[in-house]
Amino acid sequence: MNFYQQEINRISKICYKNEEQIKTVIRTRRFIENNFEQELNLDVLSDVQFKSKFHLLRLFKKYYGITPMQYLIDQRIEKSKEHLRNGMPVTETCFAVGFESPSSFSTLFKNKIGIAPVEFQKRAIFAK
Amino acid sequence: MRVKVIGIPVQDQEIALQFYTEKLGFVKKHDVPLSETSRWLTVVSKEEQFGTEILLEPSPNHFEPAKTYQNALFEAGIPYTQFNVDNLEEEYNRLVNLGVEFSMKPTEMGTVKIAVFNDTCGNNIQLIEML
Repeated sequence: MNFYQQEINRISKICYKNEEQIKTVIRTRRFIENNFEQELNLDVLSDVQFKSKFHLLRLFKKYYGITPMQYLIDQRIEKSKEHLRNGMPVTETCFAVGFESPSSFSTLFKNKIGIAPVEFQKRAIFAK
Repeated sequence: MRVKVIGIPVQDQEIALQFYTEKLGFVKKHDVPLSETSRWLTVVSKEEQFGTEILLEPSPNHFEPAKTYQNALFEAGIPYTQFNVDNLEEEYNRLVNLGVEFSMKPTEMGTVKIAVFNDTCGNNIQLIEML
């Protein structure tokens, strides 16, 4: 066993010893991934996991480093890139990934990706 | 300020280009000759061709400390960097079938699953799947 593997084992024992917590956050992440286009919020997620919402928020942030809502937004942006690459119009993409306002979606997309959805789509189609 | 290029030190740029494109599936982006033996050589993810570029830099051949550092990381099994995959088991099997050598088979570590392979250019590279 090399040094890196020893370190992985050592850190796993320290950081990942609570299997129940890990199962909870993994289930939550997968739920978000499979339902990103739905109207999701902390209340919905905590109801599904039978956990208090603040406990769930703390756990998710502890293991993934971001909040469930930040993860949801990242997922929606990632999925929107797929739709845009496939030629779906921007407004349709916005609603397909669960956002409610095309203008807010375009602003958010530009903040996250660096270019507007229309520009992203042009470049993606050009690159094919 | 944007992250446009990150570097990976490689001992042979041509072998690195072949490995990173033919085995890993990246796409060549920029290839600019700098001297008889060095190129500004970058690859990108096939799915994100205007995403961050990886510079396959020949630093171990030109700067002794870079070589020393690379060797030390390699010997310790420490990955130089990591790439994300959707399904680690699938990617692991695909790469093993292509002859890629792994020092760590797919291993669960809390909320992620990781594996480490030899990029044949002096580096360990980690693959990671978020669970």
